[in-house]
Amino acid sequence: MTNPVVNQELLTAEDFAPLAHRPDIHGISRPSRSYWQDAWIRLKKNRRAMVSLWLIVGLLAFALIGPLLWQVDPARQDIDQISQAPGADRSATIVPPYEFWGGQALSGFEGGSGLRLGAAANSQAVRLIWDAVPGAGGYRLYRNIFPIDDEMAFGLPIAEFPNAAAGFYEDRLDLRPDTYFYSLVTLDADGRLTDDYQVLEVPVNRVITLDEVRERNLAPEAPELAVGDEVFLALHPLGTDYLGRDMLARLMSGARVSLFIGIVAPFLYVLLGVAYGATAGFLGGKVDQVMMRFADFVVALPFLLFMILFQVVFGIGPGESGILPMLVALVVLAWPATARLVRGQILQIRQEAYVSASRLLGARSGYLVWRHMIPNTMGVILVTLTFAVPSAIFTEAFLSFIGMGVAPPTASWGSMSNEGLARMLTHPHELIFPSLFISITVLAFNLLGDGLRDALDARMRSFE
Amino acid sequence: MKSPITSDDSFTRSAGRQLARYAFIAVAVLVALMYSLNFVAGLTSTGAGGAAGAVDVENNEISIYLREEPPQMNSMLATDAVSGMVLGHVMEGLLRYDENDQIVPGMAERWEINGTRATFHIRENARWSNGDPLTAHDFEFAWKTALDPATGSQYAFIFYPILNAEAANTGQMPLDSVGVRALDDHTLEVDLAQPIAYFDKLVAFVTFQPVQEAFFNATNGRYGADADEMLYNGPFMMTSWVHGASLRMVKNPYYWDAERIRLDGINAAYITSDSNTLLNLYKDERIAVVDLTAEMLEGAMQQKWQLDRFMDGSVFFVDFNHREGRVTGNLNLRKAMFLAQDGNELVDRVIKLPGYLPAKSLFPVWLQGVEKTFREEYPAPESPYNVALAREHLERAKQELGLSEIPPLVMLADTSPVATISSQYYQEVFKRNLGLDIIIDAQTFQQRLAKMDSGDFDIVLSGWGPDYNDPLTFADLYASWNLNNRGRYNNPVLDSHVRVAQTSTDTKTRMDAFGEIQRILHEDVAYIGNYERGRVYATHPQVKGVIRRVFGAEYDYTGAYIETAD
Repeated sequence: MTNPVVNQELLTAEDFAPLAHRPDIHGISRPSRSYWQDAWIRLKKNRRAMVSLWLIVGLLAFALIGPLLWQVDPARQDIDQISQAPGADRSATIVPPYEFWGGQALSGFEGGSGLRLGAAANSQAVRLIWDAVPGAGGYRLYRNIFPIDDEMAFGLPIAEFPNAAAGFYEDRLDLRPDTYFYSLVTLDADGRLTDDYQVLEVPVNRVITLDEVRERNLAPEAPELAVGDEVFLALHPLGTDYLGRDMLARLMSGARVSLFIGIVAPFLYVLLGVAYGATAGFLGGKVDQVMMRFADFVVALPFLLFMILFQVVFGIGPGESGILPMLVALVVLAWPATARLVRGQILQIRQEAYVSASRLLGARSGYLVWRHMIPNTMGVILVTLTFAVPSAIFTEAFLSFIGMGVAPPTASWGSMSNEGLARMLTHPHELIFPSLFISITVLAFNLLGDGLRDALDARMRSFE
Repeated sequence: MKSPITSDDSFTRSAGRQLARYAFIAVAVLVALMYSLNFVAGLTSTGAGGAAGAVDVENNEISIYLREEPPQMNSMLATDAVSGMVLGHVMEGLLRYDENDQIVPGMAERWEINGTRATFHIRENARWSNGDPLTAHDFEFAWKTALDPATGSQYAFIFYPILNAEAANTGQMPLDSVGVRALDDHTLEVDLAQPIAYFDKLVAFVTFQPVQEAFFNATNGRYGADADEMLYNGPFMMTSWVHGASLRMVKNPYYWDAERIRLDGINAAYITSDSNTLLNLYKDERIAVVDLTAEMLEGAMQQKWQLDRFMDGSVFFVDFNHREGRVTGNLNLRKAMFLAQDGNELVDRVIKLPGYLPAKSLFPVWLQGVEKTFREEYPAPESPYNVALAREHLERAKQELGLSEIPPLVMLADTSPVATISSQYYQEVFKRNLGLDIIIDAQTFQQRLAKMDSGDFDIVLSGWGPDYNDPLTFADLYASWNLNNRGRYNNPVLDSHVRVAQTSTDTKTRMDAFGEIQRILHEDVAYIGNYERGRVYATHPQVKGVIRRVFGAEYDYTGAYIETAD
């Protein structure tokens, strides 16, 4: 493009006369916005960051308000509902208390032959009786949750009987409301398995005694319960773990530990890093050199070793919570990254013209740092902070996972994951829930940090 | 306006193609690298490792795992189960246990025990793995060396029934005064301090295995530290021992009863105790036998594995610290804790492995009594679960101790899965029923023993496996002089009964003494019984004849063989 030719002859003297003063010329057509307002608007436009922000608010509410709404003791063991998946059937029938059984068929179960029930089968006990098999040297009793087929895999060997006579057995091992297949395999005279076996299919119902109902306060609004009535066991919305502890309550109390470490530790060490880096950068020269070499030294210290040393120094005995030494170790060892970043920023800002101008106008150091340097590094600091949070949460999870964090019965997401790992194949919910919470939290903080970086970056303003 | 965008678009597309190409190349290189590294690793891996399957029909070998690396293989120093298992395959004592756990001749073809004199006749064809004849002198040397205070054997006390052994071990008498003599190459004579009923069972123990003096001296103190630093006289001999990785045993041609042994080799290809790793190794047909945890049972049933169960004979219990100044020295507190827990619940609902039994007594169910089993003749005292009574005892305990609250109790436990789950279970039970705070101190097995020795606990989850087939191996556990009595329980009445059981040769008198010990321990709540341990395990369908034993080798493959289709 070429510039339009200026036709000088068209210009008159009037054109060079000053314009009349118009009051509206300095008016700002749009409302003035501060840096923070501007950043907030840009952040609001970033949908990922906003979703993450709400997720974080939700997690905080989960950790802080959740336990007020869901008042279940996270250490309480519900032995009747061990490793229960979410949404499992909770109904149980009331039966009389357990009584010793001497092997006689109870009323209603007389007669019959072979392997048979000696009493009603329920989750309290399965009572089996059988007749002598001619030529047997003994028996072995198996239990399976699958029907027995040609492969003759009988399942769990429950008990062995060295005598050939008719016998009885009371099975009380981990009975769940399910159908069990009991097989009685005949042994020969030398105690070896023979091909001779009998199978009994036993459906088992869950039962509970009246005393247990009262003790656990399962039916507060129905005091007139009798044997045969149905009650519901305690509700566990997210299931239970390997000791029957409520997963939801444990996740909430675990969230407190994880988020405490995840938010307090970064806040403290970023603060320390900012102070240290700002001092080094502002003073510069020899002081800067010495301070930054010390920061390099701290970077070289191994975290895990210090964590253990702090546990010793703090006199944290085994079995006590390692959260405080973890916090101290994080604060003491993790600040140099922030310090370096801030120092670099400060060094740069120190050379800016407006700083020199301010200095010329007589501003003191304190004013310079407070008014110019810190606000201009705020973006960097906030972004570091949001990225430090997930890494601290991960550190806590990792340390609890290897057993250096919280002490039982306190839960943390890391220790819950560790415990769930052993049961990953049979009860996946014990691993999935805590690891899901770790993942979501870490992802939310990372995405928020990402969004904040975009929002706080002053250079992005021009793209509005 | 339109053309720059399309050009930009095509640029993006070509960049995308480029990226995809790079990604493909990167993945391909990575895959190639992994395969080549795997190949290189296969070439360089030493010894037995990796490649062999669980069953090697061609070479008549099987692969197994070891739970831990044995500290050393010196029979005079061995204390752990893994060393005991390997030594049970590569060494043989005077006598051994057969597949029915009965004493049968080993290196001694016959023996007599008359009162305080035992005579063992070593068989003529007894040989060491280098072809040297094995003589009575090898036993005399091994026993005296184990008793030497300079050796520092933790199991030296097992020789104490021998005349002057205790005095020699404590340095009060010379080793020559110990009542063990090789009369000639084939006769070993032992003088006992007093007649004991179970000496034949005792000599089948690991510490009584022979050691050749000349070879021992030639190793310069490294005896048992490596495969070639040892002489073998058992069914197998160790040919390689890659420390921390694998261990290999092959059939010993010089073994006197070599026809009995049907395998040509046993490959302990993995040393790990991680149950999930082991399960995967078993699934991949890398090991022939695997122990299952409660979580694996459902999967095992689904896979239709043939499962077996086995009770390893050991009893586990909560032990109290009876030392001065510990609140657990208070009887009412112990009673309260005893009454506040239900042993059946722990076994049936929490551990939930078939084979486990609630430990109602210190004496497990399999011990032999006078005619029937000990527990049939001397039933274990009832242990009722009674929270109300427990709270009464707790109140009394607080009064006696002058405390308004019992301070938090430190519960020492090791890090095994069952110990972890039991300790957390007890922690909640004592909190819920008694309001007691329990601090769990989880330590590795060795560290737990060290802390038990120094008395650094209030209560401890502990266990005891039998050393020989006699109730005394459990009964003297709470004797005041026994160093394994780590809670330092001290009761002169109990001590006197232990003395009776040690010195008497009359079965009835001894069993009565054991019955009394059972009663005293129960009334005094010296411990809270947890469980008698069981194991559920799966064996490779082709491998037969594997024996799990209470005494000696925990897994015994000496009678194992591979079943082939034909």
